[in-house]
Amino acid sequence: MVLANLKGRVAWIFEEENFDVDLIVGVKNIKITDLAELSKAAMESYDPEFAAKVRPGDLIVGAGNFGYGHPHYPPLRALAHLGLRGVIAESFSPGFWRGEISMGTPLVSCPGIVAGVNRWDEVDVDWDAGIVRNLTQGTMLAFEPLSSADRLMVETGGLLPYLKAQMQTA
Amino acid sequence: MGRTLAEKILSRVSGGADVRAGDEVMARPDFVIVYDFPGYTDVIFRQMKEDFGIERVNDPSRYAVFIDHMVPTATPKEEELHIQTRNWCAEQGVPLYERRGIGHQVSAELGYATPGAFAVHFDGHISQLGAYGTLAIGLRRNILEAFVREHVSLKVPHTTRINLTGMLRKGVMARDVFHHIVRVIGPSACRFQVMEVGGPGLDHISLEGRQTICGLAMFTGAVTAVMNPDATSLAYTDPRNRIATPAVCSDPDAEYAAVHTIDLTDLEPIIVLPPNPANTRNLSEHLGIEVQSGYLGSCASGRLEDLRIAAQILKGRRVKDGFSLHVIPTSQDIMAKAASEGLISTLVEAGAFTSSPSCDYCFGRIATMTAGQKAVSTGTLNVPGRMGSPDSQIFLVNAAAVAAAAIEGKITDPRKYL
Repeated sequence: MVLANLKGRVAWIFEEENFDVDLIVGVKNIKITDLAELSKAAMESYDPEFAAKVRPGDLIVGAGNFGYGHPHYPPLRALAHLGLRGVIAESFSPGFWRGEISMGTPLVSCPGIVAGVNRWDEVDVDWDAGIVRNLTQGTMLAFEPLSSADRLMVETGGLLPYLKAQMQTA
Repeated sequence: MGRTLAEKILSRVSGGADVRAGDEVMARPDFVIVYDFPGYTDVIFRQMKEDFGIERVNDPSRYAVFIDHMVPTATPKEEELHIQTRNWCAEQGVPLYERRGIGHQVSAELGYATPGAFAVHFDGHISQLGAYGTLAIGLRRNILEAFVREHVSLKVPHTTRINLTGMLRKGVMARDVFHHIVRVIGPSACRFQVMEVGGPGLDHISLEGRQTICGLAMFTGAVTAVMNPDATSLAYTDPRNRIATPAVCSDPDAEYAAVHTIDLTDLEPIIVLPPNPANTRNLSEHLGIEVQSGYLGSCASGRLEDLRIAAQILKGRRVKDGFSLHVIPTSQDIMAKAASEGLISTLVEAGAFTSSPSCDYCFGRIATMTAGQKAVSTGTLNVPGRMGSPDSQIFLVNAAAVAAAAIEGKITDPRKYL
C-alpha cells in the first residue's frame, strides 16, 4: 500500500499558538453526534460561508502546538465530513496527534507553514520526498517524517485497520 | 554517553538491546491500566473479540481496570457499562478496582507505581506514577494495541530535564510548582518528550506533591513525567511493588533535549485563568474575582496535604453563604486517613460538602456549573465546558486557595489564613 500524497487548497489558517480544536465546532456543540448537524457548526465563528467554499481534499493549516488543551474527536470528524483531508501545522500537541493519527487523519508537522502559505493557496504534501509544495507560490518546505507506525496508521486508515494488518503480518 | 530513565526502561521492555531517544521500538508494558468509560473500554472489549477474535487477554495480571468515573451512577446506562466491565474482568481474570478512589492514585497505592516499570493507559494523567520512577504513558485510543498484542509500538521519547532549587514558602504547593514550570518553559516545551523533574528543590516536595507535578505533565506537551527514585519514594514503593524489576535512574551524563533550572524560593501561589492550562499568573494579581463554587479533589490534588491545609484554613471558620465547596478525597485510603486525623469533621463543620472519591466532579458530570458561574478548582483542566456550561469559567488554584475562596466567595490569597 502506498500513502497517497495530499493535494488541495489551504481552506483556513489558524495562526494562534496552542490552538484548542474544540473551538472549530464550538464547545457547546462538542456533544453533537450527527455529523451533518455538527459540520454545519464547524468554522461558523471563523467563516460562516466555510462549508460552501471548501472542496474535497482541502487542508487546514495551524500554528505551533496545534491541538493543545483537551482535544475531542468531533471537530476533525466534522471537517472530514466537509471534505477536508488533513492538517499541516508548525507542530502538534501530542494528545491531539495520537488521537487523530489513530483515526487515520493525515497530520503534517511542517515548521514554517504559517508564513509559507496564504488562504486558498494550492499545496501538495509529498510523503516520500518529505516536502510540502506551495503550488501557487512555487515554494517548498520540508516536514518532519512520520514514524513508521504512524505512517502505516494513516496509510491503512487508522488504528483498527493498522492493527489488523500488523496482526496478519505477524 | 549515559542514558535517561526512559531509555533504560524502554530498553528493558523492548528486548534488552540499548535503545535511544528517536528509536522506534515494540515495547511490552508491564502494566496496562484503564478505567471503564464509554467509547474506550466498551469499544476495546468488543473490538478484541469481534475484530481480532481474541477471547482472552494474555497474562491478565498485567491488566488493571478501575471503576472511578460515573461513581455513583446516575442513569441505568451507566450502571450497564459498569456491569459489562465487572463481567469482563471476572471472565478474563483481570483485577478490578471499584470505588477505591481515582485510579491514577489507587494505582500508586496498589503498587502499579513500581520503580523501573513501564505502564500504559489511555488517559495521560497516569503520568503521575512517574513520581516513583515508573514510566507511565497515556496512549489514548492506541491502548487497544495493548489489549490485542503483547507489545505496543512506540518511538523512544527524548527527555527534558527540570532541576528544581530552593524551598516552597508557606501557602505555595506542588501544583503551583507545576503551573510555574508551564509558565517558565511554555506549554509546548516538552512536546512528545518525557519531562524529568529533579534537583535539590524536589527533596522538599512530598510524594503526594510529586504525583501532582508528574500527573499534569501533559500540559507541557510531555507524553509523561518521571523522577529518579530516591530514599523517600523507595520507602513508599518497596512494600508495594507488584513486579520484581530493578529501579533505574537517569545517568548523570544522560543526553537531554534541554535542561532548565527553576528556583522555587520566591514562588507565589498561582492561578490558571480560563480558558486553557497555559494561562498561568500569580494569584495575588487576580484577587477579588467572585466565584460561586470550589472543588478540592481530582487525581491532581485531593490528597492528605491538600485536605490538611484546607482544614487548617477552614478550622473555626465558615464557608460563605451561597458558596458550594466540594471536598472530595482522591482515594478511600486518603479519606479514611483524613477522617482519623479529624480533617473531614473540620471541613464538614465549616460547611464543606464532602463525598467518597469519584472522578465525576472534575469533568462536570456532577456539581455542574451553569452559564455565567465561576469556580476555583484543583481539578486537572480549565477548558470551557469542563465543569458544566461552556459559558462557565474555571480558575485552577491550589487547595489552600480553594479553601480561602470558600470563606470569602472570591479569589483570595490563602497566605493570610496560614
